[in-house]
Amino acid sequence: MTLHPLIESAWMNAVLPELILSAGGMLLILWSAFAPRLKGTTAPLSLIVFIVAALSENAVRGGNFFGGTYQVSAITQLFDITFLLAAILATLFAREYLEREGIEGGEFYALLMWGTVGMMMMAKGLDLLVVILGLETLSICIFVLVGYHRRLPVSNEASLKYFLMGAFATGFVLYGTALFYGATQSTKFEVMTRYFATADATNPLLTIAFVLLLSGLGFKLAVAPFHGWAPDVYQGAPTPVAGWLSVAPKAATLIALVRIFASMMPTFHLARWSTMVAALSVLSMIIGNAVAIAQRDLKRMLAYSGIAHVGYMLIAMLSVRDQSVAAVTVYVITYALMNIGAFGVISMLAKNQNDPQTLDDIAGLGFRRPFYGLALTVCMFSLSGLPPTAGFIAKFYVFKTAVDSGYTGIALVGILTSIVSVYYYLRVVYYLYMKEAPEGYAVPVAGMFATGALAISMIGIFVIGIFPTPLFEMAGAAAHALLP
Amino acid sequence: MSHVLSVVLWLPIATAVLLMLIPRRWSAEIKAIGLAAALIEFVVSLTILSHFEDGVAGMQLVEAHPWIKQWGITYSLGVDGISLWLVLLTTLLTPVVFLSGWNAITKHPKEYVIAFLIMEAAMIGVFIATDLLLFYVFFELTLLPMYLVIGVWGGANRIYAAIKFFLFTIAGSLLMLLGIIYMAFLHFHDSGIWSFAVTDFYGMHYRSGTVEALLFVAFSLAFAIKVPLFPLHTWLPDAHVEAPTGGSIILAGVMLKMGTYGFLRFVLPFFPNATAKYAPWLIALSVIGVIYGALVAWVQPDMKKLVAYSSVSHLGFCVLGIFALQQTAIEGSILQMVNHGLSTGALFLLVGVIYERRHTRKLADYGGLGGVMPVYATFFIIAVLSSVGLPGLNGFVGEFLILSGSFKTQPRATILATTGVILAAIYLLWLVQKVFFGPITNEENRHVKEIAWNEIAAMVPLVVLMVWIGVHPNTFLKKMTPSVQQLLTTVQNRGGAVMLTEKTR
Repeated sequence: MTLHPLIESAWMNAVLPELILSAGGMLLILWSAFAPRLKGTTAPLSLIVFIVAALSENAVRGGNFFGGTYQVSAITQLFDITFLLAAILATLFAREYLEREGIEGGEFYALLMWGTVGMMMMAKGLDLLVVILGLETLSICIFVLVGYHRRLPVSNEASLKYFLMGAFATGFVLYGTALFYGATQSTKFEVMTRYFATADATNPLLTIAFVLLLSGLGFKLAVAPFHGWAPDVYQGAPTPVAGWLSVAPKAATLIALVRIFASMMPTFHLARWSTMVAALSVLSMIIGNAVAIAQRDLKRMLAYSGIAHVGYMLIAMLSVRDQSVAAVTVYVITYALMNIGAFGVISMLAKNQNDPQTLDDIAGLGFRRPFYGLALTVCMFSLSGLPPTAGFIAKFYVFKTAVDSGYTGIALVGILTSIVSVYYYLRVVYYLYMKEAPEGYAVPVAGMFATGALAISMIGIFVIGIFPTPLFEMAGAAAHALLP
Repeated sequence: MSHVLSVVLWLPIATAVLLMLIPRRWSAEIKAIGLAAALIEFVVSLTILSHFEDGVAGMQLVEAHPWIKQWGITYSLGVDGISLWLVLLTTLLTPVVFLSGWNAITKHPKEYVIAFLIMEAAMIGVFIATDLLLFYVFFELTLLPMYLVIGVWGGANRIYAAIKFFLFTIAGSLLMLLGIIYMAFLHFHDSGIWSFAVTDFYGMHYRSGTVEALLFVAFSLAFAIKVPLFPLHTWLPDAHVEAPTGGSIILAGVMLKMGTYGFLRFVLPFFPNATAKYAPWLIALSVIGVIYGALVAWVQPDMKKLVAYSSVSHLGFCVLGIFALQQTAIEGSILQMVNHGLSTGALFLLVGVIYERRHTRKLADYGGLGGVMPVYATFFIIAVLSSVGLPGLNGFVGEFLILSGSFKTQPRATILATTGVILAAIYLLWLVQKVFFGPITNEENRHVKEIAWNEIAAMVPLVVLMVWIGVHPNTFLKKMTPSVQQLLTTVQNRGGAVMLTEKTR
């Protein structure tokens, strides 16, 4: 048997990682159905699938496929790797979490794979419809994954909330797309670019379409004021899912947004659409950081912090240039490492998952489980953007881009809200090291998989924080591929 | 290219990483390794001194490697007359901290040693970085270990103090970060090259006076919080009172100097026009700090708080000396930074010694200790006299140089600040009198254990240096003179030129 025909056929080559993940997911479901006693092997097997998919990126050749609706280039490869990294980290954390909760099964990992396929489609789509297809594939997987802990009321509640809100959001995206189609006679970015080069910036139809599209995608990004679902859903979802959900779909949505913004030049600036994005960014930074202070539930706190982080990422997107795409790319990769890492530590807290996991649950963890404590501390410092962690480099890149593009005022808001954010990130460290563990405190069990995942994210955080040059080179090349 | 500075910078970090791998139950070995590493570090740092050439104004022992190529950020190190003594002060005080805490630290000794080693490296990095972003990285890196030191090993109200310390400092430094980015952006637009090298920003062309003023504020705020300058000083008494002895020694001894050093290294040469324009404001604040700090110290019932407020007062002198923009005053200011590190470091150490034995720092609980602990009393009185500025000890030289230099450019402010010297004598001698003289009012004080070997070992080098600087300050001054001269030339050339153009306009 030879794989050559598969790799040689142009379209199959283009979707090789997607094919591997889709087929892998199906096989995994069958495996867990026919070999229920070997449940423990599903996680390692799915890791192999993810790694094979990542390796297959090497065999993929760039170009536009499927009638120019599907792009494979440096940027899509970098984002594919990011999605796979997020999925691998989530899998590693899920292995022990699901085992402890007694809900292990192949379908969990299969859904992660198919969700990843959806995100890859969003990142590669050169047509709004492909993006929407990817978005839907992803959303369906998320609905199920969020409700995966099916005997827990909170998990069901979270799933239902996400489903209802998500359905609305998709509707908005579709309406927006329909209006754009009405104006431009196409959903292809290429045609839209040509149309917008001469478009009438005062046309209200276009603005309405843009607002609808931005609100729909803003929901997926959990950007204020479309953020209401995030804290509830993260709180109810199985913790490894929450970590993955807080990062990967946002990354996919951001790259789709970059393409959309880029195709709408110069109307994007002329019709003050960039001002709308700026408003979302400022609002997210302020609401996210201010409300996070009031949270004692760790997952809700990270949800609000995530809202703020999307605000930071949007700062870079205000000017659609090489540099801003590179800044967003670096930010997304960094955010994947630190946020999934933080959720991962929380997922290890042995506790009834129906109860909130509050700051009190990590009291004294720093000395009881030094490695987990250290990992969470590193993630917190990275999230707050302190050197020498990756979070600093990412924030610095975003602020530098903003200053460079003349958005110093918004960068100032970013800096000021960062100061606020330091308070609640530090509070986690305070509970870790400076608070005594309560009576009857159950020390979390150390798991091999989770420890490995934390090691990956810590090493990643420090490598990017101290030697960012290789990543910058990749991100620069990727940005160039997106905006030629 | 010499690699002394890199060795000095990375040795503590390498030791810290090594210690992380050692099991925590070997606490005695961990302390010993920490102390040995700090002592070796001090010896290595002395080789900087032997390589250092007198009469050279610019950076010496320079090392430079590209770090983040895309943004022109380099890993570049160097020392000059301004930073030399501060580096050595840092490497001196770290073993002192380990010695003084030898028996006192029983809780999590491993983490304690690691935190101080990382802090040492970060502080050295602050003083030797010649790239603005590298400096910023180290400047923030000092915060994390200090936050943990105060928060984990501190007193009853340590959490409040630790968080307040962190938030105050980070608020200033993040605004400075925006300033740094903006300056690099301006430089990029003028020259087409991204660069963060400190010297590239000397003599920068700002688009308008407002831009320069705003950037001046962004940088000054960060350093003024660190110094701390009145009215941004409120974090300092809290942090000092709650910090463990070692934390206080490093905080007062080295960290506050990062603020004054920042003024000298960055604010003055980057913003000569704004400096000339706003110097009176900063001088006013520093004089208020001198007098206010002294007055508040006077009424403190707590020994540690008294020493903490005396720091506010003494650092006010340093800032006065810097913004007097006069050769003698700046040299005095740098010397006074070292002096303050020695004398206040010693005072915090000694307060820690007595606190450990009696678990109180209230002045009212003491009296007549001179007879019970004669050796301790001797050390204490030497440290106090050095802080007061007794001729023959280091404090006198620093204050005299600052005041005599500042008098030439800022006579009124100098006269006001001089009252601070008198007030210092009042509150410090009052402290000595309350604690050591008079009858023993409290029975518990009759059997206090005398100062121990490790504490004596920590004190001796400090006392030796106090006398050395006091008797022969030229050893120290002659190495800084060329660098200070060059700094003033940079400041005055720019400032003067623009003042002329403004007049003709």
